[in-house]
Amino acid sequence: MKQFSKIFSFELMNYMKNKVFVGVTLFLVIAIAVVMFFPRVSGLFKEEAPSVPDGESTNDAESLENLGDRPIMLIKSEEDAEGVSSLFATAFPEYCVKTYTEEISALKETILSGEAECAFVLCGYTSYTYYVNNLSIYDMNTAVADEVLRTAYQMSAMTELGMTPEEAAGVMSVAVSGSVESLGVDQMDNYWYTYIMIFALYMVILLYGQMVATGVATEKSSRAMELLITSVKPVAMMFGKVMAACLAGLIQLVAIFGSAILFYSLNRSYWGENPIIASIFDMPPALFGYMILFFILGFLIYAFMFGAVGSTASKLEDINTSVMPITLMFVAGFMVVMFSFASGEVDNLLMKVCSFVPFTSSMAMFTRIAMSTVPWYEIAASVAILSASVVGIGVISAKIYRMGVLLYGTPPKLGAILKSIWKA
Amino acid sequence: MGRKEYYKVKTMLLELKNINKSFGEKKVLTGVSFSCEGGKAFGLLGRNGAGKTTSIRILMDVFSQDSGEVLLDGRPVDYSKVRLGYLPEERGLYPQKIIFDQLIYFAALKGMSKKDAQKACDYWLERLGMSQYKKKRLDTLSKGNQQKIQLITAVAHDPDIVILDEPFSGLDPVNAMLLKDVVKELIAQGKIVLFSSHQMSYIEEFCDSIAILNGGKVAVSGDLREIKHRYVRDKLVVRAADTTPIERDFGESCTRLEEGVIIIKLSSENEKKETMARIAEKYDIDEIKVYEPSLNDIFVEYAGEVSE
Repeated sequence: MKQFSKIFSFELMNYMKNKVFVGVTLFLVIAIAVVMFFPRVSGLFKEEAPSVPDGESTNDAESLENLGDRPIMLIKSEEDAEGVSSLFATAFPEYCVKTYTEEISALKETILSGEAECAFVLCGYTSYTYYVNNLSIYDMNTAVADEVLRTAYQMSAMTELGMTPEEAAGVMSVAVSGSVESLGVDQMDNYWYTYIMIFALYMVILLYGQMVATGVATEKSSRAMELLITSVKPVAMMFGKVMAACLAGLIQLVAIFGSAILFYSLNRSYWGENPIIASIFDMPPALFGYMILFFILGFLIYAFMFGAVGSTASKLEDINTSVMPITLMFVAGFMVVMFSFASGEVDNLLMKVCSFVPFTSSMAMFTRIAMSTVPWYEIAASVAILSASVVGIGVISAKIYRMGVLLYGTPPKLGAILKSIWKA
Repeated sequence: MGRKEYYKVKTMLLELKNINKSFGEKKVLTGVSFSCEGGKAFGLLGRNGAGKTTSIRILMDVFSQDSGEVLLDGRPVDYSKVRLGYLPEERGLYPQKIIFDQLIYFAALKGMSKKDAQKACDYWLERLGMSQYKKKRLDTLSKGNQQKIQLITAVAHDPDIVILDEPFSGLDPVNAMLLKDVVKELIAQGKIVLFSSHQMSYIEEFCDSIAILNGGKVAVSGDLREIKHRYVRDKLVVRAADTTPIERDFGESCTRLEEGVIIIKLSSENEKKETMARIAEKYDIDEIKVYEPSLNDIFVEYAGEVSE
């Protein structure tokens, strides 16, 4: 225990004195500060209360600026060309809508030459051809046109049946009011911070895992190991190293998330009612607790494995190939979680299985808790399995470590390692 | 404190008894036994791969033996109480860390308090003339100086048992002298000093007893003088101004050691007395004596081949 605490504090100091570690943390904290103070400094969001922070939704401002040179949309229609054009002009404020009367071939020329961006050639209200030079995947014009034409058709049909245009407009524009009450978890609310947390979990585990593996391999290749292994029990060595990395990771996470929360609370009023930002910072404390819990357990299990693998490599260059299987396993788990998460189906069978397998449960169970309602006994079982595995993997890793650190030359094959663990 | 007094009062005796060890299918040590006493240096010899490092690691509890015992004063070694100092053959510390910081760390790992560790490390840095490098990074030092730093990690915590694996390799004559003084001091303090080396001259200088390992077995062990004495005394050294007549008469059993010195191998030890008398009578010689084997001869005899 005494040795453990000495190794622990030595390794932790190594992180704290590491210029890269300190630099990256400071950089991220400053970056967060810049983002969080941005609205206060620019005053942009305060004035336009209902707007959204991202650039993508500032079309209004943009279109106003570009009023003079909007792209041209041509409308060619057999009947009521002017009426249709005015409907389109209302529906496409970002375009300069013009009626066109020439031949189709000339129209194509106009678009190809770039004079006009696109054109609708109508055949009544219910059929048209859309001409455009390059069809972007984000081109929503046909969908808008469908809507415009359908409304126009319905309006004309209703007026033909004897309704006044006002009555018809009333029917068409009837509003439905409704409210949603989620009895479990509201995925919309949890989406963003869950996303950020899974990503943070993923990044930190991979980064620090690599650091543990590299640290072990460096000690081995510099032969400091020869002395260490004769001074200290491998279990103390392994646990000291891994725990120090875990705490360093936690400190970094807390520094980053903590500064984000602090800076946000300082600037809360300037962010207005921004829904995404607000939802990120209004996360329930219990969930934050789960995040810390799963971070620690998930981190430990991988850090032990990384440490053990690091001990079997003789040279630093071997590390990358040696840790590949662990990294792949972790990335596979991450993919399953991310795909399920993106589809909104976090309680599918694969996720349920993953949330009990110790190598994936830190991410999978956390995602399920955040995005769905998980019975308490499932959480308890998952945490119990994970904790037991952490201890088990820790002890096995220490055994591999003890053996691995004194082996030089070609890294042993997986089979040989397993065999010797069995014997040890 | 009790620990120190206990070992001071009484000479320690470290024994390895019938140690067997295999790695997988490969048998590395077979029935290895030897013993070393406090206040004396012990030489563990053997060719590369003979099992020296494995024996040392078992002795230091890095591996456990398959069978056999490691005893200190007749009882299994209590590694929580006995302090071990080790200078590994493969040298290496943290190259990019401040020298003093890592010395303190290693001393602390051996159970010293921070204050004691600082004091001891300062003393040894001073003693080895390394004080000016205290705050430097290890990799800024020359190889010989790095080795001196490594030596501090082996002795700073005042160990009861000091294991030095090839301590003299890479040291210049001045530093070798410094190390010799340190080793003599350790021996004088009553510590068990275990040497492993290929440099026979150093072993001969320091060690009272040795063990030679060959293929994982102890080929010979015990008091060095006794071993030398046991060595078949069937060679004569003859010094003469002109050795040619003797060489002509003794033919093939004669080998010239250097100008004016020859060695005559006898067909049996019994002929020694008679042959000596005959040569002294017949030829004009300056000196005749029984050939004393060097440790090198013994090593070659038991370990099988000339060492480096």
